[in-house]
Amino acid sequence: MKRRVPLLICLFSGLFFGIQFFVPHHQVRQVYSNGLRWLIVVAAFTIIMAVGSLIVHHLRRVHRRTKGWGYSLVTLGTLLGMVAAGAATGIRPGSLFNKLFLNVQAPMQATMFGILAFYIASASYRAFRARSKEATLLLLAAIFLMLSAVSFIGYYFPRITTLSEWLLMVPNMAAQRGILFGVYLGTLATSIKIILGIERGWMGGGR
Amino acid sequence: MKELLVKLGQVDRRYIFLFIAAAVVLPLLFPLNFPTRATPHTRAVFDIIDQIPPDNNPILISFDYGPSIMPECHPMAYAILRHAFARRVKVVGLTLANDAAGLAEEAFRNVAREYGREYGKDYVFLGYKAGGSAVILSIGEDLKKTFPRDFYGKPTAEIPMLAEVHNYNQIPLIIPLTGSATATFWIIYAGTRYRARVADGVTAVMAAELYPYLQTKQLSGMLAGLKGAAEYEHLVEEAGYSRGARRASRGMDALSTMHLVIIGFIILGNIGFFLSRRDAKKGESR
Repeated sequence: MKRRVPLLICLFSGLFFGIQFFVPHHQVRQVYSNGLRWLIVVAAFTIIMAVGSLIVHHLRRVHRRTKGWGYSLVTLGTLLGMVAAGAATGIRPGSLFNKLFLNVQAPMQATMFGILAFYIASASYRAFRARSKEATLLLLAAIFLMLSAVSFIGYYFPRITTLSEWLLMVPNMAAQRGILFGVYLGTLATSIKIILGIERGWMGGGR
Repeated sequence: MKELLVKLGQVDRRYIFLFIAAAVVLPLLFPLNFPTRATPHTRAVFDIIDQIPPDNNPILISFDYGPSIMPECHPMAYAILRHAFARRVKVVGLTLANDAAGLAEEAFRNVAREYGREYGKDYVFLGYKAGGSAVILSIGEDLKKTFPRDFYGKPTAEIPMLAEVHNYNQIPLIIPLTGSATATFWIIYAGTRYRARVADGVTAVMAAELYPYLQTKQLSGMLAGLKGAAEYEHLVEEAGYSRGARRASRGMDALSTMHLVIIGFIILGNIGFFLSRRDAKKGESR
């Protein structure tokens, strides 16, 4: 029973959401519309689960004094601090929460991402070597794409932009399309397996 | 000289970091104002918004980016909002990313103040809703049932601008600004399922993935990374809709010099690599 009910819900929902696409009847649309709103509510609960799991994970690290537990303490402190700021002053413009978000969190996250530029530069210097014919082709494609990303080169030498556009529109697109076909066929096959109850990993227990 | 070139193939990464830092910081301190030419994909987005009648149905901007990719996507938001508000095109904003609401609200507030636009009449911000693709599909059924209240807690049914907006049929263009798979969700679910017109604003690294959709016209246009934002800014300024608001163009100066430095290092690295390989081959033949 514990397994059958979720499997039946999955089978029914999967079949319904697939079939409704071809049935324009208003009652079917109504059920579909309600189903979507349920999904949104379920998605909201996943956030609660995610925050709960984060708190439990870091509390455990602090409790066990695992290496780097101080960082966990900072994570918990800032999490609770932001919640308190939001609860006390709201999230509207001018509130403490909003000020902390715009002036602390946003610049810090952007900085973390900006640091990537240094590592990418260093990695491309070491990795882009013309060791073989294939590597030389990759190297040339990368150089043309980077050159086209330089504003004044695109302006004064439009042919470089045309070439990089061709690289993206023809070889890149052919490869991307192949990948997309593979991904979506895989998604379709996995979906059918889940709907029919062949694939049960989503129920937990790894079976 | 040859030894020096070989050594340049093995530069310590700290020197690379130093050069990159200089290439980024100097153009930000002393703007170079490099000229820009818009690509057809950027121009396509501009042309669509430019042809939407003023004070009519609103465009929808989905601010699906957090602070980490804000340097690329936030200037896009500013440039598109300037274009729309200058032409009195109404805008509905929402976000599917839980850390984007503050950024979107800030962009709306600043640009609306610049152009004297009024909340509820010229633009609406619906805030964040969890659910990703379910939210996109649900808007296709009923916008106001999906977002019963806006970001500020006001019932959407009472907002005058949304009185005649029920679903994608009343929205002439959707522009998701993102660096994630959400870009394709909007194309697949809003574009294919509900035949809505979608134009993406994505990070440069995401752009390559979207070319198949551009070719099939499932995507009507695309702003690719900071360059796309700078191109859009340039088009908005060229058309006389804004003056001196060059947020992305300033960043493009730094990005351009950084690309040139990286290309320079790659070339030097390869010269060093070839010379050392030739010496190794000579040594073997002896």
